Amino acid sequence: MSPIALQPQRRIGWATWATFIIAALFAWSLIAIEFSPGRMIQVPGQVARVLSFFWPADMAYGWDAVLPAIVESIQIAWIGTIIAAVLSLPLALFGARTLFPRIARFVKLISATARAFPEILLAIYFVPIVGLGAFAGALAIGVSSVGMLTKLGAEVVESIDFGPVEAVEASGGSRILALRYAVVPQVLPEIVAHWLFRFELNIRASAVLGVVGAGGVGGVLLNTLRYRHFEKAAAVLILTIIVVLIIDMVSGEIRRRIIRS
Amino acid sequence: MPPVKPARNWWLWGGSVGFLVAMTWWSAVGIGFSMTELACNITGGGRLLQESWPPDFAFLPRLVEPFMETVYIAIIGTVVGGILAVPVAVLAARNLTLGPLVWFADRNFMNVLRTLPDLFWAMLFATAVGFGPVAGALALSVFTIAVVSKLWSESLEAIDMGLPEAVRSVGGSWLQMVQFGAIPQGLQHYVSYVLYAFELNVRASMVLGLVGAGGIGMILETQRANFEYERVTMIILAVLVAVLVIEQISETIRKKLT
Repeated sequence: MSPIALQPQRRIGWATWATFIIAALFAWSLIAIEFSPGRMIQVPGQVARVLSFFWPADMAYGWDAVLPAIVESIQIAWIGTIIAAVLSLPLALFGARTLFPRIARFVKLISATARAFPEILLAIYFVPIVGLGAFAGALAIGVSSVGMLTKLGAEVVESIDFGPVEAVEASGGSRILALRYAVVPQVLPEIVAHWLFRFELNIRASAVLGVVGAGGVGGVLLNTLRYRHFEKAAAVLILTIIVVLIIDMVSGEIRRRIIRS
Repeated sequence: MPPVKPARNWWLWGGSVGFLVAMTWWSAVGIGFSMTELACNITGGGRLLQESWPPDFAFLPRLVEPFMETVYIAIIGTVVGGILAVPVAVLAARNLTLGPLVWFADRNFMNVLRTLPDLFWAMLFATAVGFGPVAGALALSVFTIAVVSKLWSESLEAIDMGLPEAVRSVGGSWLQMVQFGAIPQGLQHYVSYVLYAFELNVRASMVLGLVGAGGIGMILETQRANFEYERVTMIILAVLVAVLVIEQISETIRKKLT
């Protein structure tokens, strides 16, 4: 007898099958979109060639045209987040199973529907309704954020300590008073942290809305690339990366402090 | 004695509320937020909504082919991105990486990938390799790397380091340590993150066509530009149903795994 531990018997398990199926789907997809090996070899060269046009970045254009567009994107994201925060706070309270069992189901249905729409599809409808521009973008962001904020908010409310609520009601307070003095103080920090997180996501979302004419930096990038002004496009990319990184860092730090306190 | 009510930090409160109001005011002015405009335009909007209902069901058969293209794009993007995310995630995990310099570079690479939205990548690749599904597949590959490597590097940092150390102590190389010590522990998380990325990709690939990167979004863009809103509604409804079905399937698999 050898002292070596027994090797587990090799057999075809589900992982092997899954890998096989995924590989087959992958190959089929490649064939379907006519992505031949010959084409694949060309891709890195093409990307490198276009990237080489990006240098040097036209920073003068960046300060004059791109920065205002980025500021507009931030404003869109901010107003969208405010709209969503104002609408979702009551919805989150009514969506909590533990407080309002019957209404909660209905509220959750609304929030699931709102979450299903990507903001850019909503913007396609809002642009003709309120006209081209940033306002349409802010509305689209606002409506599509309500769903997620309601869901997360309701989950926070469901996880609270019920002692204070019972205390308020035992001393004769109404449901509304219980919400004001027992529920809201407990949930507000976490909910505000979710708002901030959504703001970070909305910055990215509002950056692309310009593609359908809803304001912000996306339209600038689309136009510079369409007219092959690659140095200007480079300025868009650089400034977007820097601004988004800064906002993520600041907002992330505030979120951490809120949650800790 | 009743408990003392904690004193409020009025400076912090005043500052936060002031900032909130100022920022909102500045933004509202900046984007031209006006209730009167909304009220004036809402009638025109009503006409548009009337036009966009009922959806044009006769248009549905023509959606099948672009929709399949959308799914192909999502599959290719998920597979390519999922594979490329493995080294990116391993090198970004503090406990497995090759050195502080590699870790730092990889972390920053990941952060930069994550700052740009998916449609920006789609625009860039559409310019580089031409309009069509290939650009979309490349854009989603990058997007998948960003999502999966971020999430997975965090779960790799939480693994039990006994196993990798054991591999090392019997003379295994770094690669062997990662392959036999680390990856098996994180495999379940990896699969579930890749499936999650697939859900995001299906959603994203619906709109990639707006910038010419293939899939159903390209039809959406032409119909939108022609103001054929009953067709736009049809496309969006079909897309939503398909996305919800795919998400349900993927979520069921993910729940079974964990």
